[in-house]
Amino acid sequence: MADSLKNFRSICKKIIAVGRNYSEHASELGNTVPTKPIIFMKPTTAFVTEPNDIRIPADWDELHHEVEFGVIIDKQCQNVSKEEAEASIGGYCLALDMTERNLQNELKDQGLPWLLSKGFDTSCPCGDFIPKEKISLSSSVNLWLNVNGNRKQSGHTRDMIFSVPDLIAYISKYITLEHGDLILTGTPAGVGPVRRGDLIEAGMEGEHDLKYLMKFNVA
Amino acid sequence: MSGTLKNFRSICKKIICIGRNYSEHASELGNTVPTKPMIFMKPPSAFVAPPNEIQIPPEWDELHHEVELGVIIDQQCRNVSKEQAEKNIGGYCLALDMTERKIQDQLKKQGYPWLLAKGFDTSCPCGDFIDKSQISLSSSVNIWLSVNGKMRQNGHTRDMIFSVPDLIAYISKYITLEHGDLILTGTPAGVGAVKRGDQIEAGLNGDNNLKYAMKINVASK
Repeated sequence: MADSLKNFRSICKKIIAVGRNYSEHASELGNTVPTKPIIFMKPTTAFVTEPNDIRIPADWDELHHEVEFGVIIDKQCQNVSKEEAEASIGGYCLALDMTERNLQNELKDQGLPWLLSKGFDTSCPCGDFIPKEKISLSSSVNLWLNVNGNRKQSGHTRDMIFSVPDLIAYISKYITLEHGDLILTGTPAGVGPVRRGDLIEAGMEGEHDLKYLMKFNVA
Repeated sequence: MSGTLKNFRSICKKIICIGRNYSEHASELGNTVPTKPMIFMKPPSAFVAPPNEIQIPPEWDELHHEVELGVIIDQQCRNVSKEQAEKNIGGYCLALDMTERKIQDQLKKQGYPWLLAKGFDTSCPCGDFIDKSQISLSSSVNIWLSVNGKMRQNGHTRDMIFSVPDLIAYISKYITLEHGDLILTGTPAGVGAVKRGDQIEAGLNGDNNLKYAMKINVASK
């Protein structure tokens, strides 16, 4: 089953992203900490992989970077418990939730959906599949992101408000998760702008010498 | 190309929906008419087709029905103009945008995304593929919906604020539209609640005796 997951970006039918899942990031944007996960989607046309570039849509000036720990579903699941959730996971990846922040703020003020600010082409730079056995959910993974060589974000998945099993259980109550689906589990503090010509590097480190790195230019 | 579109529900990678695209519907919900299309998504896991039923998630009491004209993309397109838009269309369908209205209202007040209110399993009852040749965009299609035999919605696509080519041009500026993608183009006035056990019938009528109808139940349990 997990062999097809190496190509998860081609078979993925939905990317479900979680907002405000690190309390420091909630505060930095002046937001309260949620009592339930805040969920939204990116379409799969948002994927971009190395060596391709992040493209800021023509009428916009800048985007915000958000480095995230991604979870890839193997076994289809619906209404699973936290305890059962981990059995449905196929693997992990590193990803970015690129966001047009000014637009997102306007949409929030008007009570409008977030798609335009979160779902544009190349809004999901995404690394390769990391098999499940390389990361234990009981350990913490360190995530980091640099812009033009300067460290901007550095966080630990242990600081997630809702854990990966929490998120799978919550989402699957309402939305069936399918083989190849990707869940982006939120971003730590340090989000900020990138402009055309900037270079983003992002990585994660975990136990047993797990190291993953990726680089993206902003066209 | 269009051969595969008969199975669009299986190959569809995204359902992009438009809010507030009929002015009477905007008013009935106390909303202003937008200056640009309001776009949101449903995941393909939302699809349901008769004889399967709409399932209201256990903790919720009711859903709102919203009958819509769906547009199915044939040719992948990105940043197309209004004038170019129509040739990318493969066909049409009748669909419902089932919504948990109270949750949507709460999410709006908090400035939260709409996915929970709009994207749950079976939130997109969807009829069969109707070939492009059966509907001319220069004519109007009547779309209607009744609950337990009582008419609730009855609208005309000529009343859409943003036309189908407008929508394709707008969306494709930001999001590439792919073969099999579905766009739900908004709902006319008359949205209302359905509860477990209700029966929904919906249809569309167009030129040249085009008639499509579907019946779908709201599961009792």
